Amino acid sequence: MKHKEKKKYIVTGEDMEKIRRIVFCGKEKFHKDQAKLPFEEKIKLLVELQKIASGIRPSENRVVWKV
Amino acid sequence: MPFIVNYNVAMVNVIKAINRMVEKGLIDDYAIGGGIAAMFYIEPFLTYDVDIFILIEQGKKGRIILLSPVYNYLNGRGYPWKGEHIIIEGIPVQFIPADELETEAVRNARKILFKGIATKIVKPEYLIAILLKAGRKKDLHKIEKILEEAKVDRKKLKEILAKYDLKEEIKRQGLL
Repeated sequence: MKHKEKKKYIVTGEDMEKIRRIVFCGKEKFHKDQAKLPFEEKIKLLVELQKIASGIRPSENRVVWKV
Repeated sequence: MPFIVNYNVAMVNVIKAINRMVEKGLIDDYAIGGGIAAMFYIEPFLTYDVDIFILIEQGKKGRIILLSPVYNYLNGRGYPWKGEHIIIEGIPVQFIPADELETEAVRNARKILFKGIATKIVKPEYLIAILLKAGRKKDLHKIEKILEEAKVDRKKLKEILAKYDLKEEIKRQGLL
């Protein structure tokens, strides 16, 4: 069986800029897609965020919404 | 079997409680503002309370607005106070008597259904103006996000900003 050579990706100059543009466009698209989520879904995510935040730094004033 | 939590029940009950206040004539109208309204238009972010802009016309003399009936009603229903919030169904809610800009925002608010329950959310153009007026760093950041991620009627926004003398401020902040 023929040994499959691993591909190596080397980017320089203009290509690097192209890749960076693609990455940043991807990030922007992700945020815009998140913004389009249904409101109900966003509230679910908010409670998850509150739980994470309270796990990191609990505070009496920053309560996780009771559900 | 996984434990399924319906995160939206508490929010539905908050909206129902506020709608009941309108039905009872304690407030004339309302709209959700602040972070939760922003979240309607942009990606989810961490926030802890719900800001409600309220219009109260009854018994209003001059600039005096009586909020006691609202607070007494909520207290009577067993919703406790915590700092400047009233805790409805476990969610801290702040009732803000609307100023001139906010009154216009409430009257023109977007009607939505949240899990089948009718409510109103301040439109993004008004939300931007309200946040700009507040002017804290986090408010300005929300404006940036709304302009990036939401559909904003720029013509309407400019009209609102001009009407409430905020045109220069938005330019000064480099937001528009």
